[in-house]
Amino acid sequence: MIVEGTVLPIPRANIDTDQIIPAHYLTRIDADGMGEHLFEGMPDGAHLLALHPGAAIIVAGENFGCGSSREHAAWALLGRGFHAVIAPSFARIFHENAYNNGVVPVILPQETVDELMGARTIAIDVDNETLRADGGEPIRFSLDPLRKQFVLGGGVLKYLAAKIPAVRAWEAAR
Amino acid sequence: MKRSLFDKLWDAHVVEELPGGNALVFMDLVVAHEITTPPGAIAIEKDFGDKLYEPERIVAMIDHVAPAKDAATAIQAQTVRVWAKRQGIRFHDIGNNGICHVLVPERGYVTPGMTVCCGDSHTCTLGALGAFALGIGTTAQAGAMLAGCLILQRPKVMRIEITGQLPPDATAKDLTLSVIATIGFRGGTGYVLEYTGSAVRALDMEQRMTLCNMAIEAGATTGIVAADATTAAYLAATPAAPTGWSPMQADDDAEYAATVTIDAGGIRPVVSWGTNPGENSPVDGVVPFDAPAESLAYMDLQPGQALRSIAIDQAFIGSCTNSRIGDLRAAAAVLRGQHVSVPTIITPGSQLVRRQAEREGLHDIFQDAGALWTHSSCGPCLGMSMGVLAAGTRCVSSSNRNFPGRMGDGGRVHLAAPAVVAASAILGRIASPTEITAREVVLA
Ligand code: SF4
Repeated sequence: MIVEGTVLPIPRANIDTDQIIPAHYLTRIDADGMGEHLFEGMPDGAHLLALHPGAAIIVAGENFGCGSSREHAAWALLGRGFHAVIAPSFARIFHENAYNNGVVPVILPQETVDELMGARTIAIDVDNETLRADGGEPIRFSLDPLRKQFVLGGGVLKYLAAKIPAVRAWEAAR
Repeated sequence: MKRSLFDKLWDAHVVEELPGGNALVFMDLVVAHEITTPPGAIAIEKDFGDKLYEPERIVAMIDHVAPAKDAATAIQAQTVRVWAKRQGIRFHDIGNNGICHVLVPERGYVTPGMTVCCGDSHTCTLGALGAFALGIGTTAQAGAMLAGCLILQRPKVMRIEITGQLPPDATAKDLTLSVIATIGFRGGTGYVLEYTGSAVRALDMEQRMTLCNMAIEAGATTGIVAADATTAAYLAATPAAPTGWSPMQADDDAEYAATVTIDAGGIRPVVSWGTNPGENSPVDGVVPFDAPAESLAYMDLQPGQALRSIAIDQAFIGSCTNSRIGDLRAAAAVLRGQHVSVPTIITPGSQLVRRQAEREGLHDIFQDAGALWTHSSCGPCLGMSMGVLAAGTRCVSSSNRNFPGRMGDGGRVHLAAPAVVAASAILGRIASPTEITAREVVLA
């Protein structure tokens, strides 16, 4: 699986989920309709999106997705066509939500992320865990080998459903 | 190996080790509220025959927008209501409800040694009862309802030892904000914070919940306090009065990946001046000279400015951090016989808290002071209803997040303990409770 597209750089740490999707949009019982409100809680969000129309990959600072557990943040990114976020670190809950929804969370050292802020396009080879910026040399990264499978197909709920007999057996023996 | 309290909780719940350092971890309780639950419940209904692992391991409530504010939130509430009924899930509807992290412990649904998850980041609050409690996303919550488990990477454990004794004017809120300032807003990432030490032992259960509530604001997976006689007495007084649990303790000389020691005697009442909870300083102090320019631009503040000079437009006492009966008593002690000078919203954390407050006459003190006394809801904490901020306005709040836009697009939030919020509401600017007592002395 290749995730490819132009870059939206956000050179700041701590982009929290209230900035990604403000709470007043969390009023649906499905995952739809979030994309059009992406980054409305970010003071310069609309400006950033307008500067990079059609971007598909976000490059951001440390601790991306901190704050609220709202999976709506991942849904808003997907709804706006973002299929990957590259950052030095992610907040735990967003990190899991990203995997569970097929938004590829790529962790790279700060220096590499700083360089990628200047890239125009990035192509991410999810299977081989490498990416290329503007056709340059491949850069290696690593994904969680289990959660990567949820991105590539199948999904976490199917995986867990298959575990139910084992869980019941464990609980009975507890 | 000598094990921490968290190690023991973890080891007792691992069903299976999984590839990549992951583990399948059994969840004793899943808490479900109306904002994050519906898509997961619907997915299980659609793709997995509506079959939950064990409905009796779930408790549901309407809390974030209670009651519904419009057609969309009414559909959310109705979805959870119908689902809970169909599945035979314990359900707390409006009137008998509360913020999940307030209601679940006060009813006696969590006991030491349990694992708990909820599609809500402040689930770490419940670690105060000696449980492993963590916030997760909608899909992970659906997984826990479907298969009884989460897939987790084992976090490291950071021991936060709080020695000495809190000064009389400092609270658990000041303590938790100071912990975040000490270890950093991202300093807890990848860790569980295990709170120990004499100052933690001296906290009552509500204060321990305030302490654990903000573990997520340091990026931590959760916070945890070992159960003791205080925990046992608290649980015995809950409606469920659970029995049959046994307290778990860390081994003496347990190994921790990191240890931080904080002297409680040095904790001062604090208020945040920036755009994350770690950006806070003593109420009597100034905006730091090295404060990030971006935070100050959003907050419209200057380095070196006295915090007590900052005028406010609104005050809020509520949220899962500070809306329990002790918090309301602390606010009432400041507001008694006074009058607020800005719109002030006081929202109890649950309907049980509300009724207790009214038995004590606190609602009269609040309303005599000109504050709005509401029913229980998350309310303005997350900028969805009941007091959303206008852009450019400033609120002193007893809640837990001051991110840009948290309480309304462009709104500015200063986090503080309930007594500081109450004093600020009276004076119309950030204020210390001692200013109110000093004023009383002059008036007398
Ligand atoms: S009170 Fe605020 S922080 Fe707590 S659960 Fe509700 S919205 Fe979240």
